[in-house]
Amino acid sequence: MNKKIGVFLCHCGGNISDKIDLDKVEEELSSNPDVVAIKHHDNLCSLEGGKIIKDQILRNDLDSVVISACSKVTHGETFQNYIQPLNPYLFEMPNVREQCSWVTEDSDKATHKAISLVNSAIESVKYNEPLSKIPTQVKNKVLVVGAGISGITTANALAKQGMEVTLIEKRSAVGGAMVQVGKVFSPEKLTEDCAACLLNPVINEMVHNKNIILLTNTVLEKSSRRNGNFDVLLRKKPMYIDPEKCTSCGRCTQACPSIAPDEWNEGLITRKAIHKPFPQAVPSTYTLDDEDCIKCGACLKVCPTDAINLDAIDEVISLTVGSVVIATGHQRFDTSKRPEYGHERYPDVISQMELARIIGVNGPTNGQLKRPSNGETPRRVVMIQCVGSRDQLPGGNKYCSKVCCMVALKNANLIRTHYPDTEVIICYTDIRTVGVYEKYYKYVQDNDIEFIRGRPGEIAQEDDHMVVRIEDTISGIREEIPTDLVVLSAALEASQGTIDTANTLNVAMTEDNFIKEKHPKMMPVTTDIEGIFVCGTAQGPKDITDSIIQANAAASKISELVNGGLEVDPYIAVINVKQCVLCGECINNCIYQALTKSKHSIHVDPISCTGCGDCILTCPQEAISIQGQSDDKLIANIEGILKNKQEDETVIIAFLDDIGNVSANNMGINRVDCPESVRIIHVPFINRVKYEHVHYALTHGASGVFLGEYPDNSKHEQIRENVQLMKQHLERDGIDPDRLLIHSVFIPYFRGLAKQFTDFDEELKIKDN
Amino acid sequence: MNEVNKFIPTKDITLFRSCLVSAEYPGTEASTKYVFDKLGIEYVIDRNQSCCTGLGHYYDIFDELSTTALAARNFAHAIKNDHKQYVPMCATCYAILKNAALTLNTKDDVREEINESFRENGLEDLVYHKDDIDPVNNITHVVDILYALRDQLPKYKKRDLSGIKIATHHGCHYCKVHYNDTQGGVRDPEIVDQICEAMGLETIGWYDHKKLTCGCGFRQRYANRELSLETSKDKLESLYNEDADLLLVICPNCHLQFDRYEKVIQDETKHEKYMPVLNIAQFVALYMGADPYKTIGIQTHTVNVEPLLDKLGIEYEGVDDLHE
Amino acid sequence: MQVKRREMGGSKQDDLAHRILRDIKASSDLGLLRCVQCGMCASTCPAARHSDYDPRVVIKRVLDDDETILEDDDIWNCFYCYNCHSICPVGNSVCEVNQILRQMAIDKDTGKKQIESFMSFADSYIDEGLGIIPKEYHGQLHKDYGKHWGNLQENLEEVRESLELEDMHLYPEAKDEVGKTLEAIGFKKKVEEIKKVRDNYE
Repeated sequence: MNKKIGVFLCHCGGNISDKIDLDKVEEELSSNPDVVAIKHHDNLCSLEGGKIIKDQILRNDLDSVVISACSKVTHGETFQNYIQPLNPYLFEMPNVREQCSWVTEDSDKATHKAISLVNSAIESVKYNEPLSKIPTQVKNKVLVVGAGISGITTANALAKQGMEVTLIEKRSAVGGAMVQVGKVFSPEKLTEDCAACLLNPVINEMVHNKNIILLTNTVLEKSSRRNGNFDVLLRKKPMYIDPEKCTSCGRCTQACPSIAPDEWNEGLITRKAIHKPFPQAVPSTYTLDDEDCIKCGACLKVCPTDAINLDAIDEVISLTVGSVVIATGHQRFDTSKRPEYGHERYPDVISQMELARIIGVNGPTNGQLKRPSNGETPRRVVMIQCVGSRDQLPGGNKYCSKVCCMVALKNANLIRTHYPDTEVIICYTDIRTVGVYEKYYKYVQDNDIEFIRGRPGEIAQEDDHMVVRIEDTISGIREEIPTDLVVLSAALEASQGTIDTANTLNVAMTEDNFIKEKHPKMMPVTTDIEGIFVCGTAQGPKDITDSIIQANAAASKISELVNGGLEVDPYIAVINVKQCVLCGECINNCIYQALTKSKHSIHVDPISCTGCGDCILTCPQEAISIQGQSDDKLIANIEGILKNKQEDETVIIAFLDDIGNVSANNMGINRVDCPESVRIIHVPFINRVKYEHVHYALTHGASGVFLGEYPDNSKHEQIRENVQLMKQHLERDGIDPDRLLIHSVFIPYFRGLAKQFTDFDEELKIKDN
Repeated sequence: MNEVNKFIPTKDITLFRSCLVSAEYPGTEASTKYVFDKLGIEYVIDRNQSCCTGLGHYYDIFDELSTTALAARNFAHAIKNDHKQYVPMCATCYAILKNAALTLNTKDDVREEINESFRENGLEDLVYHKDDIDPVNNITHVVDILYALRDQLPKYKKRDLSGIKIATHHGCHYCKVHYNDTQGGVRDPEIVDQICEAMGLETIGWYDHKKLTCGCGFRQRYANRELSLETSKDKLESLYNEDADLLLVICPNCHLQFDRYEKVIQDETKHEKYMPVLNIAQFVALYMGADPYKTIGIQTHTVNVEPLLDKLGIEYEGVDDLHE
Repeated sequence: MQVKRREMGGSKQDDLAHRILRDIKASSDLGLLRCVQCGMCASTCPAARHSDYDPRVVIKRVLDDDETILEDDDIWNCFYCYNCHSICPVGNSVCEVNQILRQMAIDKDTGKKQIESFMSFADSYIDEGLGIIPKEYHGQLHKDYGKHWGNLQENLEEVRESLELEDMHLYPEAKDEVGKTLEAIGFKKKVEEIKKVRDNYE
């Protein structure tokens, strides 16, 4: 490959030239026929430096440029501008400052290493192609799955920014858990507020916003990615009752003979198959649950407006959206997994949500606190915390459900306020009322609620009441507490809807089956898949306040995508259509869902593709490459490094990922010594390094290959397995597998990295001798 | 309740003998053989097999190393005999053997120490190799097999056992030690209830203290008799409140505690409740038509079983010399 | 009560808790250090219900590196029923910890005294490869179980024959091998040491 290459050597005001003999470097390079121009300058990054570079490009009609200077992080963009009229991707920057002059004590050795680094850049730049940033556009249509407080909030926020939102809900009415709880705590005012009163304006806003289409009784059935968008199929249950015709007269419900548990009241009472979920339900029409309906036709006979059609069928709706928000909420722990508490056995053992329904004004007892067994006001209520939470045994959840302490305090306070003759005892392990919630805890304590620190082991029935067996761990006394009502604070778990949606969208889940965020600390509400976001309890247990914060965050992240006028780096996968046989292996493997198949080709979505190169490994046809980062270019890098290798010299080729490269730069900035044998090649992901690269390096003069990987990445385990595999291949090929080493890298631990380099260097020197 | 994924053998079985079954309730062994024969299960009994050490282990006499070494010896014989599916009749044997296999497989230093002691003492044949025995799939309690084959039981029905209130007690060392491998529930154990259900028989299901130990407490029964009996009393009084006619067990140690101490406790509490105790294998054998004396061995029970047989309308012949 | 001083320094590796975690008997994932003293174990423990034994306190004392627990009679009250083991929300097992504590106590004379009355079990095992109900307690048992039990003991062979059961005893060569195994693993030596303490005690 004959290319005209110009090499520019920056002195960096002595930072480089004091240690490295740049005249010697120039002398070495001058014998390279591809190098047609070599220039020095004290500060290439200055405007004057820029002029020199431009002048040389024009004068010598250079094809590409090598700028031997500092790190790309520092001045990459500067030189990208300076090399115009050349395409901004036609240059390489060997880092002879941070990774050479600053970390090498001996001047001769530093000079020798600098030549090696510049050679590497020269060989590598030959493979650079003219590229340009890719402008992208995300459709401003959004699908929001789940119409609880999180889904409605995010829908409102998106719609107000002009986006078209389709909001789907599996149930027949919106509002999720919040419409059931009755009262919500207000830690600032130290009161309990009416949940419906807070929620209704939010629901109304959603109903009246023209940009939102609400579909109840609807689930997400299928999703596929195309050109960065999502083609989704929604399935809406049959509309047995025409909302236009229904006048909500209620005659159908009276006539219906089929009775089922009323889920809006936690099954404490029953309802008919045809019913209105609850008086304030949105949409406000009657609904028919086809799992309970026996199709007897009694309702048809009494309906005055002919609104009922028992033969209605499912509707399938197809939609293309740019983004998806998962707001599928939670479900409560199945208490039958802790049978010792007898929730299924004893009517007077109930859950906090059942208690909320019982004391809710629109509940089965119209807000009267009554024992389910006999309708009497309980003399005592015992609440048990952490049922299914903070419990690692089979069926339980290791995490804390976060809201149960506040929920128990709220319901305890409501009982104490309205039924001063009823005692309330809360059995707890730790009370977790973080931040200002602690004030509410103190406020509730003043209302004479008893706290026993202990986790009850079982509940038994005794005559007309229950007995809770517990140890008060503060007094050390084992107790049996007689009580009329027991309330279990059941864990919040990922809902089936969340799990189903994750599977349909192919989004990763945490070990607890919640939706996994891309980075749980730094990238909340963002999933691994560009364009899919999560908010509310679908992501993990949280209260209403936190759910609303996440809902708004998700809307704002979508706004970034839609309105940002995105330009992305061109380092993405490209597929050679001649070689590709459309087998689809790459699509299945891509965790970012960046690849989609159309009739004749595989399409790469530039927004989703991170350029990780994982697909390259899976392609049986070797049809995939990463634009601007070909395999051959990596080989050229290695070839260049080894070009000036001396007979008895130990050379380590160190492939470092982004984090590793920054860590290595930090070694330079902090002047930490690094063995001169180390030659760093920066790769976007460690998986880009194939066996052929390792093999090439070790058979062409390198003593060792070092891989520096930041371990907090989704392919970490696979990478480690690959390395094991490569080691086996090395053994098979008669090469000592210990010459290949992988280590974790972290930005602040540059001294650790230096030590690993030193240890590896010493080990290899022993091997080489 | 999650179904447990473990292999349930019907052949290559060594029926692992229990000291308490042998000496106190041999009818359990005869009944198990009777039921296995009916169900076409292939098994052997091996007189090379020694006691699992269980009772001694929990009297704290046998340390972990000795117990594990003796288990390794037993495993070697089962493998040599081509019958490495160990099926104990006793919950403690079950838990001890599982634990020993787990230790031998996962604690390399312990396995090596034991193997070394074998090699140094001319016992090379006993050397254990990692994963020789799979604690989950090679060690199953008799009750696991009855549960797995429960739908076949009605085919062999000879007697109607309905019309009595049946209560179940599930051995702690079956349910609670290796709880990930327990079939039919740990926190609400129902494996015996479900076997009964398959035979068309209702049980009383849950009762207060259903999960509670029988009270033997290993050393407690002997060295701490009052403490032991207080606990058995909790259990029995709850069963008396439920008016149970029969208590089914899966472990000879529980059997002994309830059967031999029922009168002792009733003398104290002034209860006059009659409640015999049967092992589930004895009960299934009875259902299949086995002879109360010649197979089920009710003569070794302290609480007479005959009144229950009368209530069920089951005829029996033979003389019980032991009860005079 | 005096104020306790929690001194600084010292290795955590050799305290009671870590010695327990390293014990041959400890499950590999024993949650001892994760205990938050919730008391769930104590709430349903049979020994805690009827004696001063408290499984939560056992763990507390272990975590406090309180070696005096080895001298304490309380640890001998555990039933080994594994109830705590099967419900502990953090995967701890007081039952297992107790077994280890008792073995530690047996390494001292206090523990040996607790088990000396069970030594007939060891003798039977060494001789026959079979376990028995300890002979030391037969007196009480005869009282409790009544004459029927005595009859059973006397006529066991005939009863087994009538049930068509094989001889319950091991083959002679198997007994021999069991004896060798016990010798090899050091069990016999341990039994002698326990008996020595018993004899001195008597």
